[in-house]
Amino acid sequence: MAEHKPIVFSGAGEMPELVVSVSTMLWNKTGSWRYLKPAYLDSVPPCNEACPAGNDVEGFIRLIDEGKIAEAWRLLKQENPLPAVTGRVCFHPCEQACNRCHLDKPTAIQALERYAADHAPAEEVKALRPKSGKSVAVIGAGPAGLAAAYHLTRMGHQVEIFDALPKAGGLLRVGIPAYRLPDDVLDQEIAAIESMGVKIHLDAKVGQDVPFAKMLDFDAVFVATGVHANRALDIPGEDAQGVVPGLALLTKVALGQPVEVGMRVAVIGGGNSAVDAARTALRLGAETTVYYRRTQVEMPAFEEEVADAEIEGVKMEMLVAPVRILTEEGKVSGIEMRKMELGDPDESGRRRPVPVAGSEFIVPCDMVVPAIGEVGDLSFLPEDVKREWGKIKIDDFGLTNHPGVFAGGDIASAQQNVARAIGDGKRGAIAIDRFLHGETVEAIGGRVIIGQRGSVSVAQYLKEKGAHAKNIAAEKVIAFENLNMWHFEPLEREPMPRLGLEQRRATFAEINLGLNAEQAYAAAERCFHCGVCTMCDNCFMFCPDVAISHRTDGGYGYDIDFDYCKGCGICVKECPRSAMKMEEE
Amino acid sequence: MKKVLMGNHAASYAAMRCKVKVVAAYPITPQTQIVEELSEMCADGRLDAKFLKVESEHSALASIIAASSAGVRTFTATSANGLALMHELLHWAAGARLPIVMVNVNRAMAPGWSIWSDQTDSLSQRDTGWIQVYAEDNQEVFDSVVQAFKLAEQVRLPVMVCYDAFFLSHTYEPVDIPDVGLVDKFLPPYDPEIYLNPSDPRSFNALVMPDLYLEMRYKMQVAMDKSKDVAREVGREFGEVFGRSYDLVEAVDCDDAETVLITTSTTSSPGRVIVKKLREQGRKVGLLKLRFFRPFPNEDICRVLAGKKRAVVIDRNISFGKSGIWADEIRGALTLIDDRPDVYCYITGLGGRDITPQVIEEIIADAESKEKPESLFYWKGLKP
Repeated sequence: MAEHKPIVFSGAGEMPELVVSVSTMLWNKTGSWRYLKPAYLDSVPPCNEACPAGNDVEGFIRLIDEGKIAEAWRLLKQENPLPAVTGRVCFHPCEQACNRCHLDKPTAIQALERYAADHAPAEEVKALRPKSGKSVAVIGAGPAGLAAAYHLTRMGHQVEIFDALPKAGGLLRVGIPAYRLPDDVLDQEIAAIESMGVKIHLDAKVGQDVPFAKMLDFDAVFVATGVHANRALDIPGEDAQGVVPGLALLTKVALGQPVEVGMRVAVIGGGNSAVDAARTALRLGAETTVYYRRTQVEMPAFEEEVADAEIEGVKMEMLVAPVRILTEEGKVSGIEMRKMELGDPDESGRRRPVPVAGSEFIVPCDMVVPAIGEVGDLSFLPEDVKREWGKIKIDDFGLTNHPGVFAGGDIASAQQNVARAIGDGKRGAIAIDRFLHGETVEAIGGRVIIGQRGSVSVAQYLKEKGAHAKNIAAEKVIAFENLNMWHFEPLEREPMPRLGLEQRRATFAEINLGLNAEQAYAAAERCFHCGVCTMCDNCFMFCPDVAISHRTDGGYGYDIDFDYCKGCGICVKECPRSAMKMEEE
Repeated sequence: MKKVLMGNHAASYAAMRCKVKVVAAYPITPQTQIVEELSEMCADGRLDAKFLKVESEHSALASIIAASSAGVRTFTATSANGLALMHELLHWAAGARLPIVMVNVNRAMAPGWSIWSDQTDSLSQRDTGWIQVYAEDNQEVFDSVVQAFKLAEQVRLPVMVCYDAFFLSHTYEPVDIPDVGLVDKFLPPYDPEIYLNPSDPRSFNALVMPDLYLEMRYKMQVAMDKSKDVAREVGREFGEVFGRSYDLVEAVDCDDAETVLITTSTTSSPGRVIVKKLREQGRKVGLLKLRFFRPFPNEDICRVLAGKKRAVVIDRNISFGKSGIWADEIRGALTLIDDRPDVYCYITGLGGRDITPQVIEEIIADAESKEKPESLFYWKGLKP
């Protein structure tokens, strides 16, 4: 640095017309005044943290925003093998966690996931690790089993899946009707996994068609059999002709088996199975009513599904419970119902339904569909594998007490949903991979956990590069208070285009039609990108010392010239998405 | 092309013709239509400018100062209490030597709350370093704003163009709006040498020690002095291009006058009527219309008033504890010559009260009935 000589004016004639420096001021390293300095850091957006399947939500949305659909799909497939499925059926906790909720409506994350899955060109997913020579048996070709098989294959292991049903997919196939998840979409997602080298054995129920002992021939086992057995109503008349459990009805329809549906159908229950069964019965021509013992507020079914059911014409009666099923010549002729009222909360936190004495009444019907929940069948498992609350007991990563036997999905988890199952499959795959290499899960520490809610990232585990290589396993999750709302404006969330009501009622055609390119771009624009630098240039523009500049190597991100940065913090304050912080010098 | 426009819109058209690049203003009666019209001009593309919505007049001028420092032509407008809110930034804009043009519609200061014409608002910003020009009719409003840009950019001082609330701001008059090509011919693009430029970073408006501050202020004063000649030249050039020329003052029938009526703003119009009427009666009365308040046209005033018996100043303003401001400044200027007239100051028209031809006639008669002014000013029309 050249030595600077002070400029001395002898009079007005030598001075500039305005108060301005006449020579370079670069000798004045204003950075020396600093005691706090700014830094760019990626934090976890709440959507990423909330996704039970561990998607890099913010990342794939940003790629769609940039027009990079194929890359968005590839990013999704780093974590979730079934984006076309979750993009349709997930209950999208990401949208509930979306910070945009506090401004107007959340970003349409699910619709965008579906858009990427539906519009990206089909591509082969290759294994990331060379063949290990190890083999893994997966019991159950549902979302948990498929996710485990997918990731284990990417990690270099040979996987075989054994499933009881004639078609793969588990509840995706037999529990979720085609109007929510079309058959061909599911077929494509499963075919993609098979083409990676995964063998799926169908009509191969372990404990019946295949002995469990065969599973122990493999180097590890992942149990993901789900819950398919109907929970009984435990009332007289349940064995009458015309009583068809919800899941059984849905399974028959899904597998193309003949189904007889009455003219007046009574569905008992308030979960997704009940609502799906009701909407299915409606489409098969029946007048359908759902009877639930609590109120709509307590119904476990997804709100959107309940609303859609009502629009389609499914009647809902709340605060009623069946007492006994009435029959005529062995066939269902009606149900005796009793009114309920809500009492104190039970262990689930919901108010307990209490029967109202003397309030019985008869509901005429010719078909009863009990759908009050499913339970798992654990009879095929060796006795020494610990159970708890009717499920397989596992730790955070799916290890059972039996070395080499892992579990996940509805058979092991209290949370029963597709995204959770996928997450369980991933955790199981990581744990099995560690096991097969003679290592523990503890050794990887919190590296693979996203935020604080337990979702895992296989990309982090395999040290793959994500979108702009952000640190998705960082600890800090960005809340709405961290954002600078001065830089965001309300933007309408466009509704999903849907099939007309008459068509919905009459067919099993998919109801949601998906966004088009223009709508997808508009939807992606609404994302705040909480905690992740999007190169919006605010810091660059607002810095009073012009100390922030674009990287000279053309790479992503900015350079801060700490010779001149005074640590004023304006850049941090004006970052709309809290992708910067001040730290002590 | 002649349009029938209210004074406010004449100002908008002038800013549009001058191709300002940034407009930031806060609404206040009676200025609102200036910025409303400019916002529409920006919206439909007639004006290619950034229109900033701000939350106060202080913020408006702060934004304009920033934009002007970044090297673009800027414009804003305000009135009365809005102007007062900008006060510290008025000093700033001048001290930073920024060629900002601002219209101030002269409106009474509150309280009592008044939206009507009164010059105290701009006159009480006398010492901030701004050039101040006062317009008599809507054509002069347009013309003064256009000349203001040329003047400001040459001397690097901000210019305030003032005119009466409602009498001009809201009154429709025919105004000739010249073709854009003609204005381009008169007013070249603003192209400063020094401006906020990250490629040529400088330190602006930094600390100036006691050993140099006086010199910077001296340079400002030099610019102010220089602006008299520049303003005359600009006014002359304006006449060449548009057919209407302007000077710092306008003298009507003053050569052999004994009494010179001194007016500003719209008061000059009925002033002309009365002077003509009195001349027809054989009375030796002339009119001196003042356009510039800063720089104060000492030389022109002394030249016109030398040897006259009396100067009768109508002040639609008051400096409490002293007198009418124009009269006061005139008295000060006249100390430069020996053969000076007696100065009679009449304060009237405050808060928009009409100054009719009859009022003016009575003022002149009153002044002529006295031997000497007995006080620094007289109230006209006061209801005691």
